[in-house]
Amino acid sequence: MAKKGWTRRRFIQAGLLTTGAAALGGFAKPTGLWAATPKIKGPIKVGYQAVMSGTLAGYGDFHRMGATMAMEEINAAGGIAGNKLVIEFRDSTLKTPEAIQNARYFVDSWEADFLAGVDSSGQALALGPVMAELDRVLMVTHAATEKLTEEQVFKNGIKQIFRICSPTYQDGNAAAFVAKDLPAKTWATVSPKYEYGYTCWEMFKNTLGKLKKDVSFTGESWAPFGTTDFRPHINTILDAKPEGLYSTEWAGELITFVKQAKQARLFERITHVMFPVGAAMDVLEGLGAEMPDNIWISGRYFFLYPDSSQNNDWVQRFRKRWNHYPAYVSETGYATMFAFKKAVEAAGSKDTAAVIQAMEGMQLDSPAGRRVFRKEDHQAMYDVPWGLTAASDKYPFKIMGKQVMVPAKDCFNRPPFEGDESKPPF
Amino acid sequence: MNRHLNAFIAGLALAIMILIGLFGSRFVIYLTSRVMILSIFAMGYNVLFGRTGLLSFGHAAFYAAGAYGLGLYSLHVSSHPLAGILAGIVCACLLSVLIGFFCVRHTEIYFAMLTLAFGMMVFSLIWNMRSITGGDDGLVGIMRAPIALGLVAIPIIKPQAYYFLILLLLIVSIVLIYRIHHSPFGLVLAGIRENERRVAFAGVSLKNYRLGAFVISGTFAGLAGALAALLESHAEPFSAHWSHSAAPILVTLIGGLQTFSGPIVGSVVFIVLRETIERFTHNWMLWFGLILLVIIMGFRGGIVGILSRWRK
Repeated sequence: MAKKGWTRRRFIQAGLLTTGAAALGGFAKPTGLWAATPKIKGPIKVGYQAVMSGTLAGYGDFHRMGATMAMEEINAAGGIAGNKLVIEFRDSTLKTPEAIQNARYFVDSWEADFLAGVDSSGQALALGPVMAELDRVLMVTHAATEKLTEEQVFKNGIKQIFRICSPTYQDGNAAAFVAKDLPAKTWATVSPKYEYGYTCWEMFKNTLGKLKKDVSFTGESWAPFGTTDFRPHINTILDAKPEGLYSTEWAGELITFVKQAKQARLFERITHVMFPVGAAMDVLEGLGAEMPDNIWISGRYFFLYPDSSQNNDWVQRFRKRWNHYPAYVSETGYATMFAFKKAVEAAGSKDTAAVIQAMEGMQLDSPAGRRVFRKEDHQAMYDVPWGLTAASDKYPFKIMGKQVMVPAKDCFNRPPFEGDESKPPF
Repeated sequence: MNRHLNAFIAGLALAIMILIGLFGSRFVIYLTSRVMILSIFAMGYNVLFGRTGLLSFGHAAFYAAGAYGLGLYSLHVSSHPLAGILAGIVCACLLSVLIGFFCVRHTEIYFAMLTLAFGMMVFSLIWNMRSITGGDDGLVGIMRAPIALGLVAIPIIKPQAYYFLILLLLIVSIVLIYRIHHSPFGLVLAGIRENERRVAFAGVSLKNYRLGAFVISGTFAGLAGALAALLESHAEPFSAHWSHSAAPILVTLIGGLQTFSGPIVGSVVFIVLRETIERFTHNWMLWFGLILLVIIMGFRGGIVGILSRWRK
């Protein structure tokens, strides 16, 4: 009995102590810009959705690692304008109605101030009108379709949508800039049989065709979602005898494709191979030493670029926290939280209209380097290198050896997104 | 007595639905809209499954036909929502006549597999006809234009107004399906389920009656699909995927296979349960599956079936 009373007293004491400390902390912290803006009330709530089930569930985990780490760091340093940052995660699956229901739950039921995430392009496009109705900022961290920013934001004026990751321009246009300096004159593709695959190949063909007059495109083979046997596709391509292969296969399917292509000696017969999303960590780690050397790879971020102290420190912290190298969705998820922080603190408010205004044209120093959110279409402009795979003593997987940089300003389509002047080369 | 009780429950449910529409928050209205659309889908489906005893795995195709029918009509012809819904229903109806014609010659597993094959055929058509259907991006930009009725126009862009349109169509569907169940046609369907040989000996064309049930259920699936496309402003290819055909089956099993209100109760449980579980865990699929398993195995005859047995 006596013991119980003691525990209760201790409990109350501890409680008072924590409250006191929190109150003190609360008083001590506000400095600088946001000390004068006490009108932001309560925690800043971010609803984050990513695919957390099925074969791509690993991507959801990497999203979560990046965003969670940003939340921990931001809160340890005093939060956003003195307010705690809170994130709730939800499984978006890959189906559109799920994504819409999640967004509506976040805003209308959980009362989120911001939304982030989204992997599939179809989901991102479908969320356009929903975001306009809910009137919250959505930062897209993975879906890459250029239609999102060109049509939904620029043409339809849905200003609530921003994108922090690089879009299909990096996969299609930038690849063409790299390919123009390669000796290959005939190109073929094995790519996913859905919009992403078609769009990238189309962009690659158009841009390369303009950059280099004497190229031709000799073979196409489209692999449906969930393909496990790529041999028919590999044979189609080998029969076409191209000098270069371009493939936007990604995640587990790219791993399978590379393994089967190796067995078919594809990499000996086609010397110039480009994988626009080959620099994703799940692919590099999944293939390990099996990834051939001298393959052109890129991604939406690669942890060894840029070689800046901000990036290197971040990769170290990420390693320490999660025991993984950061995937590109970890970086985009992480940077998203800092983009919200910067925009809210600059606007002095978390109201959607004010945040949109602050975010348009905003510069953000992130692990991937300096991003600028283009005012017209809300696309983050930042540079990601293309590089040739090479073995390294320091890592149990292949990394980018020789790197080529195609700056975003040269390879991203430009407003008004109509006619040839909007597309590179400029 | 029993009849009075049923009428009382129906009246109470209607009152609750109207109250939700008037005073519910935007999210509750959205969620209830989805429950109603799933109810229409499942009730129509139950004409075939519970009433006639045919298990189809292809009804997502008709749902998608409704969604894409509405989407294409409103994007290219006219954005009048009622005309669009009608276009969706007609598409689904025609498609179910076509597919049903080939499927109703068979029963049991052969029927199920045929519907699955036809359903996936529709899915791959939608997936691959990119210039028309938008491929995996689906149809984007379907707007909820005001319903113009001569002098007045009802702006259904407001979720609340659209909620009442769905509620109205749900009530119409319930009345229609109730009439179908209790018509001579509906009784023959039940007869086919119980003993098809005996019905055949009575001089009834099994094929025609099965086709009738198939088309009716496909048409209601189309209505549900069209309403969903308007709700989400979007039509997506996965709505035609066979995994989506499983939704009305599950819902019917949860609510009660051979009950009239089973699919509605099942829809409420299906959507509310999922939404509740997701608030607690990311592994919602696991818990959702486990709970569904318990309901389906533990409540034989579904929730409605158990309740009505207790009442007796």
